Amino acid sequence: MQAQVSQWLEEGKIDIFIGYKNLDGHIIPHCFSSDNLNEIKDLRSGREHYALEKVATRIAAQDPDLKIGLLLARKCNQQALNVLYVWNQLDPERIEIIDDSNNAAESPEPGEGELPFKKLMGLSKTLIPEDLEGLSQAELFPRWMYEFSKCLKCYGCRNICPVCFCKECSLEHKELVGPGMLPPEIPIFHLVRASHMAGRCIDCGLCEEACPADIPLRLLYRKVGEIVNDLFTYETGESHELSPFSMLGDKVTLEPKPI
Amino acid sequence: MDCKFVPSVCPYCGTGCGVLFEVVDGKLVGTLPLKSHPVNQGKLCIKGWNIHEFVNSFLRLKQPLIKMFGRFVKAEWDETIDFAAERFKEIIEEHGPDSVGVLVSAKTTNEENYLGQKFARAVIGTNNVDHCARL
Repeated sequence: MQAQVSQWLEEGKIDIFIGYKNLDGHIIPHCFSSDNLNEIKDLRSGREHYALEKVATRIAAQDPDLKIGLLLARKCNQQALNVLYVWNQLDPERIEIIDDSNNAAESPEPGEGELPFKKLMGLSKTLIPEDLEGLSQAELFPRWMYEFSKCLKCYGCRNICPVCFCKECSLEHKELVGPGMLPPEIPIFHLVRASHMAGRCIDCGLCEEACPADIPLRLLYRKVGEIVNDLFTYETGESHELSPFSMLGDKVTLEPKPI
Repeated sequence: MDCKFVPSVCPYCGTGCGVLFEVVDGKLVGTLPLKSHPVNQGKLCIKGWNIHEFVNSFLRLKQPLIKMFGRFVKAEWDETIDFAAERFKEIIEEHGPDSVGVLVSAKTTNEENYLGQKFARAVIGTNNVDHCARL
């Protein structure tokens, strides 16, 4: 991996490579370039996951001509890249990838160390959408509201999301989500975000990991993703065409499949 | 393009969450939670998520201000420290050392808090030491 990256940097195939390095026991993202070729020996993969695609998007926004190399430490990294390509946030011709996702350790099972109270009142992070199918609305609604009411409005779910790139965010739009309240206006705050995750969320789980209130966001966005797949047969992250929710451009793409 | 990630500790409260600063071309552009930090375990509150905004804010004070004739006037550090020392001396001479109190903070380091109480007890001569969390 190191040899490949240093070769690419020396040849000028890429200008910058975003990977991980070990700093005092913390595996943190690091940008390798031809200016710091001697650091290339520190390049490593790891089970800690940061949204490297998001870093790449930010760099590309500043300098669109830069050729960026990326380490794919997990399978969802490639899906996130596909979504960013589709939405024109990154140029596939300027991205080179090194796929290390097969060697990556599986992320820890969610729900470890959950309090019994959460099982009683809320929704466990181990649940999948199918688990909720048998439950009535009268049972589910208060559970979701309990989860949402814990929200600190830290915007961490949005900030860490690799596929959130909008300049103006609906969550900060005072007409959509009332400002100045804690918890934020529920459930609208979370549902606005959930609806925006339709056709975008690649189920990487970073939002849930970043949530200080342990809200089962992944469960919510998985359900949204399932609906998109059922209605439009759109596989987020796998497809190379724009999601059915694109409102820009000259043709409407919102076409449900025939029933 | 020079892009690097600098681990640090959130300066807001006394919890001590680990943060990771995203620095592009020498400018702080983003803050991320440090995933492997034992205190916050990859989570942050809204203040921690926005550290880069106050660092780059145009409202940020970069030099001390002295209040003169009812207005704050920009001053140099040496001048300000002399001015403060002079006024402290005057107040202590006139009203005694117990007329001064020192408030330390959770946002500063342990060592700075130690220096704060040392300053109160050894230099000013008062036991009026308290913490900002009790204000």
